[in-house]
Amino acid sequence: MAADRQKAERLADEELMPLIGGKDPEAFAVLFDRHGGAAYSLAYRIVGERDAAEDVTQEAFISVWRSGARFDRARGSVRSWLLSIVRNRAIDALRAGSGRAPKLNFDDEAILEQRPAEEQTEEEAIRHETAGEIRDVLEELPGEQSQVIELAYFGGFSQSEIAGMLGIPLGTVKGRMRLGLRKIRSELAEGWA
Amino acid sequence: MSEIEHKRWHEELSAYLLGALEPGEAESLERHLESCERCREELRWLAPARDALPETASRMQPPPELRVRLLADVREDARRAAGAAGARPGLLERLRDFAGPRWRPLAAGAAVLLIVAAVVGYEIGSNGSEGGGNPVTVESNEPSGLVAAVSMEGTENGRIELSNVSPLPPDKVLEAWLERDGEVEAVPMLFVPNGKGEAATTLGDMRGVTTVMVTAEPPGGSEAPTSEPIATVTIG
Repeated sequence: MAADRQKAERLADEELMPLIGGKDPEAFAVLFDRHGGAAYSLAYRIVGERDAAEDVTQEAFISVWRSGARFDRARGSVRSWLLSIVRNRAIDALRAGSGRAPKLNFDDEAILEQRPAEEQTEEEAIRHETAGEIRDVLEELPGEQSQVIELAYFGGFSQSEIAGMLGIPLGTVKGRMRLGLRKIRSELAEGWA
Repeated sequence: MSEIEHKRWHEELSAYLLGALEPGEAESLERHLESCERCREELRWLAPARDALPETASRMQPPPELRVRLLADVREDARRAAGAAGARPGLLERLRDFAGPRWRPLAAGAAVLLIVAAVVGYEIGSNGSEGGGNPVTVESNEPSGLVAAVSMEGTENGRIELSNVSPLPPDKVLEAWLERDGEVEAVPMLFVPNGKGEAATTLGDMRGVTTVMVTAEPPGGSEAPTSEPIATVTIG
Protein backbone atom coordinates (compact mmCIF):
# COMPACT_ATOMS: atom_id res chain seq x y z
CA MET A 1 0.00 0.00 0.00
CA ALA A 2 2.87 2.36 0.77
CA ALA A 3 4.22 1.75 -2.72
CA ASP A 4 0.77 2.46 -4.16
CA ARG A 5 0.66 5.68 -2.23
CA GLN A 6 4.05 6.81 -3.50
CA LYS A 7 3.05 5.97 -7.03
CA ALA A 8 -0.19 7.91 -6.72
CA GLU A 9 1.61 10.92 -5.29
CA ARG A 10 3.65 11.21 -8.44
CA LEU A 11 0.57 11.42 -10.65
CA ALA A 12 -1.14 14.60 -11.80
CA ASP A 13 -4.71 15.14 -10.70
CA GLU A 14 -5.98 14.27 -14.14
CA GLU A 15 -4.11 10.97 -13.98
CA LEU A 16 -5.59 10.15 -10.58
CA MET A 17 -9.14 10.38 -11.81
CA PRO A 18 -9.20 7.16 -13.86
CA LEU A 19 -7.72 5.36 -10.84
CA ILE A 20 -10.39 6.80 -8.59
CA GLY A 21 -12.97 5.72 -11.15
CA GLY A 22 -11.50 2.24 -10.75
CA LYS A 23 -11.97 2.42 -6.96
CA ASP A 24 -8.38 3.04 -5.91
CA PRO A 25 -8.42 4.37 -2.31
CA GLU A 26 -4.78 5.50 -2.48
CA ALA A 27 -5.47 7.73 -5.48
CA PHE A 28 -8.48 9.11 -3.63
CA ALA A 29 -6.37 9.79 -0.55
CA VAL A 30 -3.84 11.74 -2.60
CA LEU A 31 -6.62 13.78 -4.17
CA PHE A 32 -8.05 14.56 -0.74
CA ASP A 33 -4.66 15.56 0.61
CA ARG A 34 -4.13 17.93 -2.30
CA HIS A 35 -7.53 19.59 -2.33
CA GLY A 36 -9.33 18.72 0.90
CA GLY A 37 -8.18 21.94 2.52
CA ALA A 38 -9.42 24.11 -0.33
CA ALA A 39 -12.69 22.19 -0.44
CA TYR A 40 -13.30 22.56 3.28
CA SER A 41 -12.27 26.21 3.20
CA LEU A 42 -14.69 26.96 0.38
CA ALA A 43 -17.48 25.05 2.08
CA TYR A 44 -16.89 26.98 5.31
CA ARG A 45 -16.71 30.24 3.37
CA ILE A 46 -20.19 29.56 2.02
CA VAL A 47 -22.03 27.88 4.88
CA GLY A 48 -20.20 29.68 7.69
CA GLU A 49 -20.31 26.77 10.13
CA ARG A 50 -17.78 24.01 10.74
CA ASP A 51 -20.08 21.02 11.03
CA ALA A 52 -22.00 21.99 7.91
CA ALA A 53 -18.74 22.61 6.06
CA GLU A 54 -17.53 19.16 7.07
CA ASP A 55 -20.75 17.59 5.81
CA VAL A 56 -20.51 19.44 2.51
CA THR A 57 -16.89 18.45 2.02
CA GLN A 58 -17.63 14.84 2.80
CA GLU A 59 -20.56 14.74 0.39
CA ALA A 60 -18.48 16.34 -2.35
CA PHE A 61 -15.61 13.89 -2.02
CA ILE A 62 -17.93 10.91 -1.85
CA SER A 63 -19.52 12.24 -5.03
CA VAL A 64 -16.07 12.37 -6.63
CA TRP A 65 -15.39 8.82 -5.48
CA ARG A 66 -18.59 7.64 -7.06
CA SER A 67 -18.35 9.68 -10.24
CA GLY A 68 -14.61 10.00 -10.78
CA ALA A 69 -14.84 8.23 -14.09
CA ARG A 70 -17.11 10.98 -15.37
CA PHE A 71 -14.52 13.73 -14.99
CA ASP A 72 -14.00 15.46 -18.34
CA ARG A 73 -10.58 17.06 -18.52
CA ALA A 74 -11.67 19.07 -21.55
CA ARG A 75 -13.89 21.15 -19.26
CA GLY A 76 -11.23 22.28 -16.85
CA SER A 77 -8.93 21.14 -14.07
CA VAL A 78 -9.78 18.54 -11.47
CA ARG A 79 -9.47 21.18 -8.78
CA SER A 80 -11.97 23.48 -10.50
CA TRP A 81 -14.33 20.56 -11.06
CA LEU A 82 -14.09 19.45 -7.45
CA LEU A 83 -14.55 22.96 -6.09
CA SER A 84 -17.57 23.48 -8.32
CA ILE A 85 -19.09 20.37 -6.73
CA VAL A 86 -18.30 21.74 -3.28
CA ARG A 87 -19.78 25.12 -4.17
CA ASN A 88 -22.99 23.63 -5.53
CA ARG A 89 -23.47 21.37 -2.52
CA ALA A 90 -22.73 24.21 -0.13
CA ILE A 91 -25.28 26.42 -1.86
CA ASP A 92 -27.79 23.57 -1.68
CA ALA A 93 -27.08 23.30 2.05
CA LEU A 94 -27.61 27.03 2.47
CA ARG A 95 -30.89 26.91 0.59
CA ALA A 96 -32.01 23.95 2.65
CA GLY A 97 -31.51 26.08 5.70
CA SER A 98 -28.81 23.89 7.14
CA GLY A 99 -26.22 26.63 7.13
CA ARG A 100 -26.06 30.19 8.24
CA ALA A 101 -26.39 33.13 5.91
CA PRO A 102 -23.24 33.68 3.88
CA LYS A 103 -20.69 36.15 5.06
CA LEU A 104 -20.58 39.09 2.76
CA ASN A 105 -17.00 40.19 2.42
CA PHE A 106 -13.75 38.80 1.14
CA ASP A 107 -11.80 39.89 4.18
CA ASP A 108 -12.16 36.89 6.43
CA GLU A 109 -8.58 36.76 7.61
CA ALA A 110 -9.90 36.38 11.14
CA ILE A 111 -10.18 32.68 10.39
CA LEU A 112 -6.78 31.60 11.53
CA GLU A 113 -4.64 29.10 9.77
CA GLN A 114 -4.80 25.91 11.78
CA ARG A 115 -1.50 24.58 10.62
CA PRO A 116 1.87 26.28 11.02
CA ALA A 117 3.30 27.68 7.82
CA GLU A 118 6.34 25.42 8.00
CA GLU A 119 4.09 22.39 7.65
CA GLN A 120 2.62 23.59 4.40
CA THR A 121 3.83 21.96 1.25
CA GLU A 122 5.50 24.06 -1.37
CA GLU A 123 2.44 23.72 -3.57
CA GLU A 124 0.21 24.89 -0.75
CA ALA A 125 2.49 27.85 -0.14
CA ILE A 126 2.28 28.82 -3.81
CA ARG A 127 -1.47 28.49 -3.74
CA HIS A 128 -1.58 30.59 -0.60
CA GLU A 129 0.49 33.27 -2.25
CA THR A 130 -1.71 33.11 -5.33
CA ALA A 131 -4.82 33.36 -3.19
CA GLY A 132 -3.39 36.52 -1.69
CA GLU A 133 -2.85 37.98 -5.14
CA ILE A 134 -6.40 37.12 -6.12
CA ARG A 135 -7.71 38.71 -2.95
CA ASP A 136 -5.78 41.83 -3.89
CA VAL A 137 -7.44 41.84 -7.30
CA LEU A 138 -10.85 41.49 -5.70
CA GLU A 139 -10.19 44.24 -3.22
CA GLU A 140 -9.30 46.55 -6.06
CA LEU A 141 -12.67 45.98 -7.67
CA PRO A 142 -15.27 48.67 -7.15
CA GLY A 143 -17.28 47.60 -4.13
CA GLU A 144 -20.53 47.33 -6.04
CA GLN A 145 -18.91 44.85 -8.45
CA SER A 146 -17.35 42.62 -5.82
CA GLN A 147 -20.62 42.71 -3.91
CA VAL A 148 -22.72 41.23 -6.71
CA ILE A 149 -20.04 38.65 -7.54
CA GLU A 150 -19.87 37.55 -3.94
CA LEU A 151 -23.61 37.37 -3.52
CA ALA A 152 -23.83 35.21 -6.62
CA TYR A 153 -20.90 32.87 -6.12
CA PHE A 154 -20.70 32.53 -2.35
CA GLY A 155 -24.33 33.33 -1.58
CA GLY A 156 -25.99 31.38 -4.37
CA PHE A 157 -28.31 34.23 -5.28
CA SER A 158 -29.61 34.75 -8.79
CA GLN A 159 -29.32 38.08 -10.59
CA SER A 160 -32.93 38.96 -9.98
CA GLU A 161 -32.64 38.05 -6.29
CA ILE A 162 -29.59 40.27 -5.98
CA ALA A 163 -31.44 43.10 -7.73
CA GLY A 164 -34.26 42.73 -5.23
CA MET A 165 -31.93 42.60 -2.25
CA LEU A 166 -29.97 45.66 -3.28
CA GLY A 167 -32.91 47.58 -4.69
CA ILE A 168 -31.25 48.19 -8.04
CA PRO A 169 -32.35 47.39 -11.60
CA LEU A 170 -31.63 43.90 -12.94
CA GLY A 171 -29.65 45.43 -15.79
CA THR A 172 -27.35 47.11 -13.28
CA VAL A 173 -26.67 43.79 -11.58
CA LYS A 174 -25.85 42.20 -14.91
CA GLY A 175 -23.51 45.02 -15.84
CA ARG A 176 -21.65 44.98 -12.51
CA MET A 177 -21.29 41.22 -12.62
CA ARG A 178 -19.96 41.28 -16.17
CA LEU A 179 -17.53 44.14 -15.59
CA GLY A 180 -16.30 42.71 -12.32
CA LEU A 181 -15.59 39.21 -13.60
CA ARG A 182 -13.87 40.53 -16.72
CA LYS A 183 -11.70 42.77 -14.59
CA ILE A 184 -10.70 39.83 -12.36
CA ARG A 185 -9.81 37.84 -15.46
CA SER A 186 -7.75 40.67 -16.88
CA GLU A 187 -5.87 41.14 -13.64
CA LEU A 188 -5.04 37.50 -12.99
CA ALA A 189 -1.35 36.89 -13.09
CA GLU A 190 -0.14 35.39 -16.32
CA GLY A 191 0.05 31.65 -16.12
CA TRP A 192 -2.29 31.34 -13.14
CA ALA A 193 -4.95 29.84 -15.32
CA MET B 1 -28.57 32.97 -35.03
CA SER B 2 -29.13 36.69 -34.96
CA GLU B 3 -26.62 39.19 -33.68
CA ILE B 4 -29.19 40.31 -31.15
CA GLU B 5 -29.53 36.79 -29.80
CA HIS B 6 -25.75 36.41 -29.64
CA LYS B 7 -25.34 39.70 -27.80
CA ARG B 8 -28.02 38.75 -25.31
CA TRP B 9 -26.33 35.53 -24.32
CA HIS B 10 -22.82 36.97 -24.53
CA GLU B 11 -23.76 39.42 -21.80
CA GLU B 12 -25.01 36.60 -19.60
CA LEU B 13 -21.82 34.56 -19.63
CA SER B 14 -20.54 36.02 -16.35
CA ALA B 15 -23.80 35.27 -14.59
CA TYR B 16 -23.73 31.76 -16.06
CA LEU B 17 -20.26 31.13 -14.67
CA LEU B 18 -21.29 32.48 -11.29
CA GLY B 19 -24.41 30.32 -11.21
CA ALA B 20 -26.61 33.40 -11.09
CA LEU B 21 -28.91 32.84 -14.04
CA GLU B 22 -32.57 32.26 -13.42
CA PRO B 23 -33.94 28.71 -13.54
CA GLY B 24 -34.04 27.52 -17.13
CA GLU B 25 -31.75 30.24 -18.45
CA ALA B 26 -28.59 28.19 -18.02
CA GLU B 27 -30.00 25.45 -20.23
CA SER B 28 -30.97 27.99 -22.88
CA LEU B 29 -27.51 29.51 -22.80
CA GLU B 30 -25.91 26.08 -23.11
CA ARG B 31 -27.97 25.45 -26.23
CA HIS B 32 -26.76 28.76 -27.62
CA LEU B 33 -23.16 27.80 -26.85
CA GLU B 34 -23.47 24.75 -29.05
CA SER B 35 -23.72 26.97 -32.09
CA CYS B 36 -21.73 30.04 -31.06
CA GLU B 37 -17.96 29.82 -31.19
CA ARG B 38 -17.57 33.44 -30.07
CA CYS B 39 -19.42 32.76 -26.83
CA ARG B 40 -17.52 29.52 -26.28
CA GLU B 41 -14.26 31.39 -26.72
CA GLU B 42 -15.35 34.12 -24.30
CA LEU B 43 -16.42 31.48 -21.79
CA ARG B 44 -13.04 29.73 -21.99
CA TRP B 45 -11.27 33.03 -21.42
CA LEU B 46 -13.51 34.08 -18.56
CA ALA B 47 -13.68 30.77 -16.66
CA PRO B 48 -10.35 31.21 -14.80
CA ALA B 49 -11.81 34.30 -13.11
CA ARG B 50 -14.59 32.17 -11.68
CA ASP B 51 -12.15 29.40 -10.82
CA ALA B 52 -10.07 31.91 -8.84
CA LEU B 53 -12.89 32.80 -6.49
CA PRO B 54 -12.66 29.68 -4.24
CA GLU B 55 -8.97 30.40 -3.74
CA THR B 56 -9.88 33.60 -1.90
CA ALA B 57 -11.44 31.66 0.96
CA SER B 58 -9.12 31.79 3.94
CA ARG B 59 -7.37 28.47 4.17
CA MET B 60 -8.56 26.10 6.86
CA GLN B 61 -7.61 22.52 7.50
CA PRO B 62 -10.47 20.05 7.59
CA PRO B 63 -10.79 18.13 10.86
CA PRO B 64 -8.64 14.95 10.81
CA GLU B 65 -11.71 12.88 11.57
CA LEU B 66 -13.15 13.84 8.19
CA ARG B 67 -10.21 12.33 6.36
CA VAL B 68 -10.27 9.23 8.52
CA ARG B 69 -13.98 8.76 7.96
CA LEU B 70 -13.80 9.36 4.22
CA LEU B 71 -10.91 6.99 3.66
CA ALA B 72 -12.50 4.30 5.80
CA ASP B 73 -15.64 4.60 3.69
CA VAL B 74 -13.86 4.40 0.36
CA ARG B 75 -11.63 1.55 1.48
CA GLU B 76 -14.68 -0.40 2.53
CA ASP B 77 -16.39 0.43 -0.74
CA ALA B 78 -13.31 -0.67 -2.67
CA ARG B 79 -13.23 -3.92 -0.74
CA ARG B 80 -16.84 -4.58 -1.56
CA ALA B 81 -16.24 -3.67 -5.19
CA ALA B 82 -13.36 -6.08 -5.37
CA GLY B 83 -15.40 -8.79 -3.73
CA ALA B 84 -12.59 -9.23 -1.28
CA ALA B 85 -14.58 -9.06 1.90
CA GLY B 86 -14.19 -12.19 3.93
CA ALA B 87 -11.50 -13.73 1.77
CA ARG B 88 -8.52 -12.63 3.79
CA PRO B 89 -5.21 -14.43 4.09
CA GLY B 90 -4.12 -15.94 7.37
CA LEU B 91 -2.48 -13.95 10.11
CA LEU B 92 0.95 -15.52 9.72
CA GLU B 93 1.00 -14.98 5.99
CA ARG B 94 -0.12 -11.40 6.25
CA LEU B 95 2.31 -10.49 8.97
CA ARG B 96 5.15 -12.12 7.07
CA ASP B 97 4.25 -10.17 3.96
CA PHE B 98 3.60 -6.80 5.48
CA ALA B 99 4.87 -6.46 8.98
CA GLY B 100 8.31 -7.99 9.22
CA PRO B 101 9.75 -10.27 11.85
CA ARG B 102 8.73 -8.34 14.91
CA TRP B 103 5.18 -9.47 14.43
CA ARG B 104 5.93 -13.15 14.14
CA PRO B 105 6.17 -13.98 17.83
CA LEU B 106 2.72 -12.58 18.35
CA ALA B 107 1.37 -14.52 15.44
CA ALA B 108 2.94 -17.65 16.87
CA GLY B 109 1.24 -17.04 20.14
CA ALA B 110 4.20 -15.86 22.17
CA ALA B 111 3.61 -13.42 24.97
CA VAL B 112 4.36 -10.08 23.40
CA LEU B 113 3.19 -7.04 25.29
CA LEU B 114 0.25 -8.94 26.53
CA ILE B 115 -0.84 -8.05 29.93
CA VAL B 116 -4.17 -9.55 30.04
CA ALA B 117 -6.62 -8.11 31.65
CA ALA B 118 -9.12 -8.03 34.26
CA VAL B 119 -12.56 -9.02 33.34
CA VAL B 120 -14.95 -6.36 34.47
CA GLY B 121 -18.65 -6.85 34.66
CA TYR B 122 -19.91 -10.26 33.81
CA GLU B 123 -18.49 -13.39 32.35
CA ILE B 124 -19.37 -14.17 28.81
CA GLY B 125 -22.64 -16.06 28.91
CA SER B 126 -22.70 -19.78 28.52
CA ASN B 127 -24.36 -19.28 25.16
CA GLY B 128 -21.57 -16.96 24.16
CA SER B 129 -21.75 -17.86 20.52
CA GLU B 130 -25.01 -16.01 20.22
CA GLY B 131 -25.64 -12.31 20.37
CA GLY B 132 -27.53 -10.52 23.05
CA GLY B 133 -25.65 -11.90 26.08
CA ASN B 134 -24.52 -10.01 29.12
CA PRO B 135 -22.22 -7.01 28.73
CA VAL B 136 -18.55 -7.80 29.19
CA THR B 137 -15.52 -5.55 29.32
CA VAL B 138 -11.96 -6.81 28.98
CA GLU B 139 -9.11 -4.47 29.77
CA SER B 140 -5.46 -4.44 28.90
CA ASN B 141 -2.84 -2.28 30.58
CA GLU B 142 0.10 -1.70 28.26
CA PRO B 143 3.65 -0.94 29.44
CA SER B 144 3.31 2.49 27.82
CA GLY B 145 0.60 3.38 30.31
CA LEU B 146 -2.10 3.05 27.67
CA VAL B 147 -5.24 1.31 28.82
CA ALA B 148 -7.42 -0.53 26.32
CA ALA B 149 -10.92 -1.75 27.10
CA VAL B 150 -12.94 -3.96 24.78
CA SER B 151 -16.62 -4.15 25.56
CA MET B 152 -19.18 -6.48 24.08
CA GLU B 153 -22.82 -7.28 24.45
CA GLY B 154 -22.85 -11.03 24.01
CA THR B 155 -20.85 -11.46 20.84
CA GLU B 156 -22.13 -8.37 19.07
CA ASN B 157 -21.51 -4.66 19.21
CA GLY B 158 -17.84 -4.87 20.07
CA ARG B 159 -16.15 -1.62 20.93
CA ILE B 160 -12.65 -0.69 21.98
CA GLU B 161 -11.85 2.36 24.07
CA LEU B 162 -8.31 3.56 24.66
CA SER B 163 -7.05 6.02 27.22
CA ASN B 164 -3.62 7.51 27.87
CA VAL B 165 -2.85 7.36 24.17
CA SER B 166 0.25 9.31 23.24
CA PRO B 167 -0.30 11.95 20.54
CA LEU B 168 0.03 10.49 17.05
CA PRO B 169 2.24 11.95 14.35
CA PRO B 170 0.09 13.89 11.87
CA ASP B 171 0.58 11.20 9.25
CA LYS B 172 -0.73 8.37 11.42
CA VAL B 173 -4.15 7.08 12.40
CA LEU B 174 -5.22 4.21 14.62
CA GLU B 175 -6.43 0.98 13.09
CA ALA B 176 -7.90 -1.93 15.01
CA TRP B 177 -7.45 -5.58 14.09
CA LEU B 178 -9.43 -8.66 15.06
CA GLU B 179 -7.81 -12.07 15.25
CA ARG B 180 -10.42 -14.71 14.53
CA ASP B 181 -9.81 -18.38 13.75
CA GLY B 182 -6.13 -17.74 13.15
CA GLU B 183 -6.76 -14.92 10.68
CA VAL B 184 -6.53 -11.20 11.19
CA GLU B 185 -9.12 -8.74 9.93
CA ALA B 186 -8.87 -4.99 9.68
CA VAL B 187 -11.66 -3.08 11.38
CA PRO B 188 -13.04 -0.71 8.73
CA MET B 189 -13.45 2.34 10.97
CA LEU B 190 -10.13 4.12 11.53
CA PHE B 191 -9.84 6.45 14.49
CA VAL B 192 -7.66 9.05 16.15
CA PRO B 193 -7.21 10.11 19.77
CA ASN B 194 -8.80 13.29 21.02
CA GLY B 195 -6.95 15.97 22.92
CA LYS B 196 -7.34 14.01 26.15
CA GLY B 197 -5.58 10.94 24.80
CA GLU B 198 -8.83 9.03 24.42
CA ALA B 199 -9.82 7.09 21.33
CA ALA B 200 -12.57 4.63 20.52
CA THR B 201 -14.04 2.72 17.62
CA THR B 202 -16.64 0.07 17.05
CA LEU B 203 -15.47 -3.46 16.30
CA GLY B 204 -18.67 -5.06 15.07
CA ASP B 205 -19.24 -8.82 15.25
CA MET B 206 -17.03 -10.39 17.93
CA ARG B 207 -17.91 -14.04 17.33
CA GLY B 208 -14.75 -16.12 17.42
CA VAL B 209 -12.47 -13.17 18.10
CA THR B 210 -9.57 -14.12 20.32
CA THR B 211 -7.47 -10.96 20.21
CA VAL B 212 -8.04 -7.29 19.48
CA MET B 213 -5.02 -5.20 18.54
CA VAL B 214 -4.49 -1.56 17.67
CA THR B 215 -1.64 -0.18 15.58
CA ALA B 216 -0.66 3.21 14.23
CA GLU B 217 -0.99 3.20 10.46
CA PRO B 218 -0.66 5.65 7.58
CA PRO B 219 -3.70 7.77 6.74
CA GLY B 220 -6.26 5.60 5.02
CA GLY B 221 -5.16 2.60 7.02
CA SER B 222 -3.37 -0.52 5.89
CA GLU B 223 -4.35 -3.91 4.59
CA ALA B 224 -2.22 -5.53 7.30
CA PRO B 225 -0.44 -4.18 10.39
CA THR B 226 2.76 -2.33 9.59
CA SER B 227 3.91 -1.60 13.13
CA GLU B 228 3.91 -3.11 16.58
CA PRO B 229 0.61 -2.86 18.38
CA ILE B 230 0.14 -0.07 20.88
CA ALA B 231 -2.58 -2.17 22.49
CA THR B 232 -3.37 -5.87 22.55
CA VAL B 233 -6.40 -7.26 24.30
CA THR B 234 -6.94 -10.99 24.62
CA ILE B 235 -10.58 -12.01 24.65
CA GLY B 236 -11.70 -15.09 26.54
